Amino acid sequence: MAAGCGSGRHPETPVSTAGVRRGGEIAASIRAEPRSFNRFVARDTGTALFGHLTQARLVRVNQATQELEPWLAESWTTSADGLRATLKLRRDAVFSDGHPFTADDVVFSFDAAYDGRAATVMNDTLRVSGQKLSVVAIDPQTVEVVFPAPFAPGVRLLDSLPILAKHKLDATLKAGTFANAWGLSTPPSDIVGLGPFVLAQYVPGQRIVFDRNPLYFRKAADGTALPYLDRITVEVVPDPNADILRLDAGQLDTTVSEIAPEAYAPLKRTADAGRVKLLDLGVAYNADGLWFNLKAGALGNDSRAAWLQRDELRRAISMAVDRQVFADTVFLGAGVPVYGPETPANKQWYWDGPKTPHDPAGARQLLASIGLADRDNDGVLEDSHNQPARFTLITQKGRPNRERAAVVLRDELRKIGLIVDAVPLEAGALIERFLSAKYEAIYFNADKTDLDPASSPEYWLSSGGAHVWNIAEKTPATEWERRIDALMAQQIASPDRAERKRIYDEMQKIFSEHLPIVYFAAPRIYVVASTRLANLTPGVLPPQLLWSADTLAVTR
Amino acid sequence: MGAYLARRLAFAAFLVVAVSSGSLILTRLAPGDYVTESMGIDARRETIEEARARYGLNKSIGAQYRDWVVAAAHLDLGRSLLYDRPVKDLIPERAANTAILAMTALAVATLVGLPLGIVTGSRRGGILPYVIRSTSLVLISMPPLLTSLFLIFLAARTGWLPIAGMRSAFVPEGGATLDLVRHLVVPAAAIGLPLAAMLERLQAQAMTEVVGEPFVLAAFARGVPRSRVVWRDALKPALKPVASVYGLMVGTLLSGSFAVEVITAWPGLGRLMLDALRARDVYLVTGCAGAGAIFLAFGTLLSDLALALVDPRARE
Repeated sequence: MAAGCGSGRHPETPVSTAGVRRGGEIAASIRAEPRSFNRFVARDTGTALFGHLTQARLVRVNQATQELEPWLAESWTTSADGLRATLKLRRDAVFSDGHPFTADDVVFSFDAAYDGRAATVMNDTLRVSGQKLSVVAIDPQTVEVVFPAPFAPGVRLLDSLPILAKHKLDATLKAGTFANAWGLSTPPSDIVGLGPFVLAQYVPGQRIVFDRNPLYFRKAADGTALPYLDRITVEVVPDPNADILRLDAGQLDTTVSEIAPEAYAPLKRTADAGRVKLLDLGVAYNADGLWFNLKAGALGNDSRAAWLQRDELRRAISMAVDRQVFADTVFLGAGVPVYGPETPANKQWYWDGPKTPHDPAGARQLLASIGLADRDNDGVLEDSHNQPARFTLITQKGRPNRERAAVVLRDELRKIGLIVDAVPLEAGALIERFLSAKYEAIYFNADKTDLDPASSPEYWLSSGGAHVWNIAEKTPATEWERRIDALMAQQIASPDRAERKRIYDEMQKIFSEHLPIVYFAAPRIYVVASTRLANLTPGVLPPQLLWSADTLAVTR
Repeated sequence: MGAYLARRLAFAAFLVVAVSSGSLILTRLAPGDYVTESMGIDARRETIEEARARYGLNKSIGAQYRDWVVAAAHLDLGRSLLYDRPVKDLIPERAANTAILAMTALAVATLVGLPLGIVTGSRRGGILPYVIRSTSLVLISMPPLLTSLFLIFLAARTGWLPIAGMRSAFVPEGGATLDLVRHLVVPAAAIGLPLAAMLERLQAQAMTEVVGEPFVLAAFARGVPRSRVVWRDALKPALKPVASVYGLMVGTLLSGSFAVEVITAWPGLGRLMLDALRARDVYLVTGCAGAGAIFLAFGTLLSDLALALVDPRARE
């Protein structure tokens, strides 16, 4: 290893201390309580928030700047080939029960993440080219992480791994019961972490109370021990209307996630009256999209397979939908048109390619090229077997954005003679249909893991589990997918950022030509905060305000 | 009376078993499960299968039902996948919360609805019966969902009462009981006021009929004071229709205050059931449905007993 190559010591974003004081408490709301206190086995919003507040990672992606920052690792070096990273751990970090934090805890956390018996949610994401990272404790304050293949984002990947306390959980891992450790019935005193807060109280169905961790390692620029707040109470409020009223009445300071489009208007009035602050964080990083089942033979002997799996159909749909109307209707005016897998919010990796025009006549021509024409002049297209051009679009029930989107798509596509049967399904039923490839088209989310495309191989690679239009292909089904696979491999391995951008632009261009997923619009993200909340450094991803809970404060 | 009670209890037991079994089978038959629900669309097939095996969701419906029946016979209702706790521990906690809310709402409904029904049913004219009748009609027309939203809005605007939840995070001045009472006002009123209106209407109609009966008219003719006739002689027969629905109301309240619990964030059985259904937590859904059936059976039993008490012919 060439010591000193790569990153060296990284700057940490300074913590503002102006106008804030230590102390005080805030209340936030969440729609549903966490599924576990073990971040390794659940990925829901509540469990993720619990991880943010009570655990810490080796490095942190600053959600406001998207820059990588030292966290439990105060510095690191990478070898010339980029395969090895040596991380120096902080000496002043201790768990909330006073136990010292060492390299053994890091190795243990990796072991837990890869434990097959626990089926952890990190098992898939914490891999490079499908293989595990290997981690060795060099000494109590140094760990070496070895990547199985060149991986351009490098240690950025470690942002997804909370470091757990080996002295508390080692026995469960050895006994094969790690998946059941730190369930919701665990007494708060048994749960320890390196994060800014500790679990103080959990009342099922009502609230989770987090108290300040007095042993937290981080300090403000003026030497004040963080976190500033003494307590964060997270109230479980299942009904969004009650959320709005509680914010209005001053009984809540913020919500854990962004507000729904439906809540914008009432909260804007409250903000105009000076009772809350409404923050516009810009366009979301991810957008929902429409994709067809492109698995070979998925439609059996259905004659519609001849046109349902064609590129021309998806391109025609892309042209037929007025994206501005879509954005305005689905997100109630708080959305922007998008044309590909990256939204303009991802400034580093967004490809500003040609925008598909709204062109219903052009869409009809494209459909005619694959044999779809209105043969009996009834306004509905028919295929070469004289069957109506009709397909079923499933989407998630209970998500107003998705239900509205399905309705807009149905109406817009009706204008070019396509009949869409929009069917909202419960999430579990929809995912089951997706996994068993028993669907024609879906409108749902196919989120990428991180803003850096190298972190989303499952989405881009034809063998990936999130390659949603045709999951886990044994070999690329099409030439363009083979080309994307090759480009992705280069993009992941290249150490040159400009080269990676060039490659990724090419990948997005190929994507735009074949449109395996048709994207229409992304929402703008708004969060709400009480007027007394200070030191806000919002990020676009949830939890938008509480991701930096250690520096959050209330005004003097 | 003993045989009658035994018959009713046997029916109640059948109801609970049938509802629980049906819930388990239906939850399993519906596409998707707890694992697909919690792992999302981008989880690998192998990871999903590993998780299914861990939760026992890879068994056939028949095998899972058989295992559940055997365990339930030993009073083990399974472990909630969502909360990782035994279902038999979770249900009583939440059922107690629902019972507190339901009984308070019922008390409000009874104390308000019955006397007002007697007043409106025993008087032919006047402003007071008119006002009561009109208010009742408005309250009956308002579903509890709207009533609770309106009351929450009122609480938010005035700041007099907590908007949601069952208790404050930390016991405030005045103690835990006062804190609970303050939190109860909005959800109990949301459920109780429409019920009070319904009781008022039922009681008024029954009272009007009884007041026209010959034995009441005879009492009036003998010069017995009106209030004495109404409250002593006419009341018991006039309670019969109310008694026949009262128990059912209890059962329905205990098993079905879902909407109000969700809106007011009351941590009761309804919300637990909703969370379990959303997460496809098969054992918890089964447990909640069974608990709901127990409440309903209890209500029906209560209703039958009350009716048997005021009308001995019902025992036959």
